[in-house]
Amino acid sequence: MRRQLEGSLAVADTVARCRPRVVAAYPISPQTHIVEALSELVASGGLAPCEYLTVESEFGALSACIGASAAGARTYTATASQGLLFMAEALPNASGLGLPMVMTVANRALGAPINIWNDHSDALSQRDAGWLMLFASSNQEAVDLHVQAFALSERTSLPVMVCMDGFVLTHAVEEVDVPEQEQVDAFLPDFHPRQSLDPDHPVTIGAMVGPEAFTEVKYLMAHRQLRALDEVSAVAQEFESAFGRTSGGLLQPYRTDGAELVVVALGSVLGSLADVVDELRDEGLAVGALGICCYRPWPFDEVRDALRGVTDVVVVNRAVAVGSGSILGQDVRLSAPRGTAVHDVVLGLGGRPVTRDVLRRLVLDVVTGRVGSDSLTFFDLDHDRAAAELARELADTVPANGGGS
Amino acid sequence: MNLPFAVTLGPGSSRADHTGAWRTERAVYVQRTAPCGNACPAGEDVRSWLYDAESGGAGYEAAWRRIMETNPFPAVCGRVCYHPCETACNRGHLDEAVGINSVERFLGDEALAQGWRVEATAAPTGRRVLVVGSGPAGLSAAYHLARRGHAVTVRESAPVAGGMMRYGIPRYRLPREVLDAEIRRLLALGIQLEVDTPVTDLDAVMEAEGWDAAFLAVGAQLGHRTYLPAASAARILDAVSLLHGLEEGERPLLGRRVAVYGGGNTAVDAARTARRLGASDAVVVYRRTRERMPAHAEEVADAEAEGVVFHWLSTIERVEPEGLVIERMELDEDGFPRLTGRTERLAADSVVLALGQDTDLSFLGEASALRVSDGTIDTDRAFATTRPGVFAGGDVVAGERSVTIAIGHGRRAAESIDDWLAGRPPAPEADVDLAPYEALNTWYFQDADRAHRERLELARRSSTFDEVVHGLDRETALYEARRCLSCGSCFSCDNCYAMCPDDAVIKLGPPGEYVIDLDYCKGCGLCVQECPAGAIVMVPEET
Repeated sequence: MRRQLEGSLAVADTVARCRPRVVAAYPISPQTHIVEALSELVASGGLAPCEYLTVESEFGALSACIGASAAGARTYTATASQGLLFMAEALPNASGLGLPMVMTVANRALGAPINIWNDHSDALSQRDAGWLMLFASSNQEAVDLHVQAFALSERTSLPVMVCMDGFVLTHAVEEVDVPEQEQVDAFLPDFHPRQSLDPDHPVTIGAMVGPEAFTEVKYLMAHRQLRALDEVSAVAQEFESAFGRTSGGLLQPYRTDGAELVVVALGSVLGSLADVVDELRDEGLAVGALGICCYRPWPFDEVRDALRGVTDVVVVNRAVAVGSGSILGQDVRLSAPRGTAVHDVVLGLGGRPVTRDVLRRLVLDVVTGRVGSDSLTFFDLDHDRAAAELARELADTVPANGGGS
Repeated sequence: MNLPFAVTLGPGSSRADHTGAWRTERAVYVQRTAPCGNACPAGEDVRSWLYDAESGGAGYEAAWRRIMETNPFPAVCGRVCYHPCETACNRGHLDEAVGINSVERFLGDEALAQGWRVEATAAPTGRRVLVVGSGPAGLSAAYHLARRGHAVTVRESAPVAGGMMRYGIPRYRLPREVLDAEIRRLLALGIQLEVDTPVTDLDAVMEAEGWDAAFLAVGAQLGHRTYLPAASAARILDAVSLLHGLEEGERPLLGRRVAVYGGGNTAVDAARTARRLGASDAVVVYRRTRERMPAHAEEVADAEAEGVVFHWLSTIERVEPEGLVIERMELDEDGFPRLTGRTERLAADSVVLALGQDTDLSFLGEASALRVSDGTIDTDRAFATTRPGVFAGGDVVAGERSVTIAIGHGRRAAESIDDWLAGRPPAPEADVDLAPYEALNTWYFQDADRAHRERLELARRSSTFDEVVHGLDRETALYEARRCLSCGSCFSCDNCYAMCPDDAVIKLGPPGEYVIDLDYCKGCGLCVQECPAGAIVMVPEET
C-alpha cells in the first residue's frame, strides 16, 4: 500500500514484515527511529514472535545478533557512524562464521569532529568486513532492499548491510509502497540456517582455526562473497517478478548508452543525478549515470562492461580515504577499461548538500577540463579558507629568529 | 547438517582445559548468621522460619514448629515482643524492616486456630525439676525441660499462671484467651502446675521434696517506691499493683485526672489503662526527653493517639490534695537532666508510680547458699546460681527485662539444667558470623513496601480493653514473609549456577545444594557478587 511515510518508519514496517525473531540494537542518530519503531512493534505485540534485546552498546547489539543467528533465528539490527565502528570487532565474526543477518546502516559521517549528518564514511570504512553491502537510492528502494536482503543473506549464509543515507532518506517523508505481509511471506521463505546451535545436535561454531586451514577458509570466504554477485542479481529479478518494480540488483545505469561521460555514485544522490543527466542530454551532452547498488561484493566485470566506450568517468565520493585518496574511486579505477579518464571527486561530506546545481557544475567542470583525472579533487571546497589555514600552519612552523644565544 | 569447512566443527569440549589452575581465591558457600535471629532474645532462628513460611500452606506449620523449637509463645510474642529482630533486620537499610513480629503473630494465631501441638522429643528421664514462678521464664524453662523428658512441676503463688504476661501486660495488648491457650498447650506436655502455692523457704522445699534441680523465676513483682512528700489525702498507687489488681477484678479508684510518674513501658501501660478506666486526663510525667524514654516508641505513639499526654523533662516535687507540684528539668552539657527550680502545678486526682520493679527474694531464707547482689540473684552465663543444681532467670536476675528476654532465659537455663542433670559439659557458644547488608545484592529483590498491621478504631480504645493491634491476614502474612532477604543463607535462586562463566557450579539435586567444581572455578568471584543473599564468600587459596 502506498503511504506518505518517513523513511525510517517505512523500513521498520518492512523489517517487521520480514518477521525477524530477534532484534538487538542500540540507538544512534540517524538510525534511531527505525529501532524505536521496531521496539514499539515488539512491545505492542505487532511483531511476534520476536525478542527485542535492549543492549548496552553497538558491540553488544551485534554480538547478540551473532548469537541469535547462530541459534537459527532471523536477526536484524541497525546502526550508523561510530556505532558501526563500535561493531567493528564483531563484523568479521558475523561474516566469517557465515551467519545470516540484516543490518541497516543509516549513513553518517565519522568524527572527529563530531558530525551527525550524511556521508558514506561509516559504511565504506567497513568495506573489507566480509558483509554484502547494498546502497539504496530512495526510500522505496530502501524498503525493497530490506526484503531482498533477508532473502540474499539466508541464501548465501552471509550478513547483509543495507545502507541508506542518513536524514536525506531516513528522515524524509515521501510516498512509499510498503509491501503487504502476504507479499513478503510469499517472497521470503522460512529461514533454514546452514548451521545452528541446537542442544540435540551439538556443533562448535567459531572455534580456533590454525595456519593449516586458515588460508583455505579465507579463500572460501572470498569465493563465496564473489559468488554472491549472482545471487544479488537473481534476488533482484525475483523481486521484480513478485512485486512488479525494479529495485536493487548490482548496478543501476541511467542513459549510459552512447554516453561519453558517466558519473558513478552510491546512494540517494542518484535521483538528482538522473535529473542532471536529463538536462545535459537535452543540451546535447552525451552524459549518463551509473548507480552502484551492490558495493560489496564489487561487481568488477559489470562495472567494466558498463563503462566500456566511455571517455570520462566521474566518481562521486562521499567519503575520503585520508592518506590515499578515495574509496569508491579506487574500485572504479580498477574496473575502468584502459584509457578511460577517471575523475575522482570528493564532495558532500558531513551533510553538505549535493544538489542538482552542484552535480551540473561538476559535470560541466569535467567537460571543460577543470577537474583532472590524475589526482583527487575536493569539489565545492572553500579554497580560500583552506589556503588561509594552511598558510597559518606554515607560518607557525617557521622557527623564530635568534632563538640560540 | 552439512557443515562449512573449519568454521563449524563437530562438538568439542574445553574440559581438558582445567581453568581452576588459574585460581588464587576460591568461592565457598557459607551459612552466615542473620541479624534478626542474632538479635532475638528468645534465640529464634527467624530467617529459617520465615523461609518456611514463604511457601505458605504447609509451610506455616513448619515455620511454627521451628519457632516452637525455641519459643513456646509465638502468639504472645507476636503481640508483646519489642522485636529487636526488626531493629536489626538488613531490609531496614533497603526500605523498611520485614514485619517479623506480625508474621510470628500470624503463625502463633494460626497454630491456635488449627490446634497444632508439640510433643516431647526425649523419653522420660525420671529426673524431677522444680520451677518456681509461672511467668515467661518459668514456663519457657518448664516447656524445654519437659520436652527433654524431665518431670517438671511449676509452683505459682498467684491463682493463675502467666506471671507478668497476665499481671503486668494489659489485655488490650495481650488478650487473655491467647495467653491461656498457649499456656494450656504448654502444660499439655505433662507439666504439673500448682497455683496459689508460694515457695516460702527454698532450702526446706529442696530438702524435703528431693528435687534434682530447680529453676527460680519469681520475677520482679514489687513496684519500686520512691519518697514523695505528700499530703495525707493524696492518692498514690504503684503501676504494678494497679495492673495486677485490675487482672484480679478490682476497679481501682483513680479519679478523673491521673498522673503517671515514670518513663518505661509500664508507665505507658498504666496511663493507657487509666484512660480505659475513665480518666479524662492521663498524663505521664517523665524526667528525661522522648528520645531517652525507655518505653517503646510504638507504645508511646499508641498512647498519644489515645489521648495520653506526656510531660517531658519534669519531675514530681510533691503531691498536694489538689494535685502535683512539678519541677521542670533541663539537660546539662552531657545530656543528663538537672533541676531548674521552676515549678508548675498539675491537677491530679491520683498519682501512679511506674519507676521500675523490684524482686521479692524473701523465699530464699536467711541461710540460703545463693548469692544475691543489688536485689537480684547472681548467676553465671549458664544461669546457674551459686548453689549447685539451682538455676535462675527472667526478671529475678540482673539485666534487661522483657517477656522475650525471659523466654530466652528459660530456654537457655533449661539447656543448662539438662546438661547438669546429664553430667554433660555445656556446649560451646556458636560462632557469630553476621551477614552484613553490604554482603547482599539487593538488585535481585523486588520492591515491596512493608505491610503494617491495622489498629482498633480510636473510639473503642479509650473505653474498652479490646485488643488494639490487629493481626495480618494469610495473604499479607505471606507477602511480609517473602520480603525476607535471607541474609547470609542460600535460598536456591540459582544465580550462581546460571552466572558462573566456567559452568563450575554443580547442582547436586536438592534445592539449595550446590558444589563448586574446583577443576574449572577460576576464582573470578562473579557468584559472590551476584548472590542476593551474601551466602558465598571468597577464600584465598594457600600458596
